[in-house]
Amino acid sequence: MIRPMNESPHIIETSGLTKRFGDRPAVVDLNLTVPRGCAFGFLGHNGAGKTTLIRMLLGLTWPDAGSMRISGHPLPEQRARVLASVGAIVEEPHFHGHLTGRENLRVVAAVRGPEALGRIDGALARVGLSDRADDRVGTYSQGMRQRLGVARCLLADPELLILDEPMNGLDPGGILEFRTMIGELVAEGRTVFLSSHLLDEVEKTCQAAAVIDRGRLIAQGPIAELVSAERLLVEFGCDDPDAAIDLLDGHPAVAESQLTPDGFLVTLAGADGVASINARLVQAGIAVYRIAPVRESLEQRFLQITSRIGADR
Amino acid sequence: MTPTIARDMFTAEVLKLRRRRPLMAFAGVLSLGVVVIFMGYLQIRHATNPAKYIPTGGIDGYRHLLRALGQYFGVLAAILIGTEAGTADLSSGVFRDLVSTGRSRLALFTVRVPAAIAVTLTFSAAAYALGLVGTFAFAGTSPTPSLSTVLEGAGWIALSNSLLAALAVGVGSLTASRSVTLTALIGWQLVATEILLNIKPLGSVRDGLITPALGQLAPVHYYSGVTMASGTAVAVLAGWALLPTLTGAWRTRTRDA
Repeated sequence: MIRPMNESPHIIETSGLTKRFGDRPAVVDLNLTVPRGCAFGFLGHNGAGKTTLIRMLLGLTWPDAGSMRISGHPLPEQRARVLASVGAIVEEPHFHGHLTGRENLRVVAAVRGPEALGRIDGALARVGLSDRADDRVGTYSQGMRQRLGVARCLLADPELLILDEPMNGLDPGGILEFRTMIGELVAEGRTVFLSSHLLDEVEKTCQAAAVIDRGRLIAQGPIAELVSAERLLVEFGCDDPDAAIDLLDGHPAVAESQLTPDGFLVTLAGADGVASINARLVQAGIAVYRIAPVRESLEQRFLQITSRIGADR
Repeated sequence: MTPTIARDMFTAEVLKLRRRRPLMAFAGVLSLGVVVIFMGYLQIRHATNPAKYIPTGGIDGYRHLLRALGQYFGVLAAILIGTEAGTADLSSGVFRDLVSTGRSRLALFTVRVPAAIAVTLTFSAAAYALGLVGTFAFAGTSPTPSLSTVLEGAGWIALSNSLLAALAVGVGSLTASRSVTLTALIGWQLVATEILLNIKPLGSVRDGLITPALGQLAPVHYYSGVTMASGTAVAVLAGWALLPTLTGAWRTRTRDA
């Protein structure tokens, strides 16, 4: 894959993007930037607007307002040029069931151009379907269809792959294979835009992510920053957790506290409150035998911010 | 779009149709099968009682052949094939994948028409050739059609079947539903048209139907219920070819994929 010298640092940029279906807003004033050369997770509950954004990027439906760019080129004005180097699976990969895997790729390659026809064998080999390439797709398993979908994306030698819920219906082995494949594609310099509600998979697969809720972008950035942003959590192990929580009620370093099976969990109000909390507990005669920072998972963070948004409305 | 891409897309469209085995089987039965059954039946009837039944072939058999292929069964095969070409990408869900390649929707639609016509004409040509063999082999003492009539007949069947195939592609692309398209077109062409032709108070309104317009241009005379000027017939057929095709193209361009 050859990348132009004057390429934009962001492979996807949207500004004020809005789409409504009747009175229902599907995407609202979306300002998204996806950095080049990484696996980027696009997170949201079902119906949050993930697929609508993808469909707008691919020209499958039209925005009501706002602008979009892929590789710095405006859409839909330069749609043909842009999409020539984009591979996409929307919702789930669809095929002509009566054709073989190879014939299905041939149908799409014919639409893309002669170079794509020459990539069919390589794409099939890449996803491990060479042995079944001449079987009818109607006989393929869900995992094989997903892999054939990726092979179809690779016909474009894409700089951007847009995968909408690609791990739906895959067994654990299939998910692991898929994760590995995405890593390899990113290592080749491609960008993978991965829409999903499987938060654990996004955390394991992606380097950056954005969270969308009810059509609005509520967070975006590197996964590490998204997970650690705002909340600093510390778990204390002690001989009397109930008394400790009562004692810390109103302590300036404590934003929130709650019992856990092994003690109690404190959400710090600032970055330097652990020592003063520990001192307060020891002065009160509570034996502290463990202090451990807690790393939130993306799932916890996602549920926190999306439920907060829900509560705000 | 370059000629190479257009050729590759056409080949891929033909592949999609050709690999649809039930479709190919039905189209074969409706074209070749009907000719074999029809001529076989007439020949057996003639062989068992030559005094009562005229020979299968000759100009009368040729007239039956033209009507079978150009007005009824060949038309059915064309509708089946055109409907499949018009709806296959949409009903399978592949349409959105093709659109997301960046290729224009108009190109995706346009290539369906020649592909459907090409596959349709393959069956039409084979059935017509078989029918001609019967026309000449089983003519007995009856006169046979001249070479010019045979060539005109080939053109007429090609016109009829191509028109219906293109019409089905257009309507299929408009509705995106195989069952709706088949029901509408077969119902219109083989049932509603026959009823309308028999409602004489409709007068020249009936000139707008496909069947009498085709009948007007047939190389051998048969009464289709209405007579009209050849120019009118050509205009009617052009309208039937263009309107659904343009509508199907418009819907393909504007459809939310």
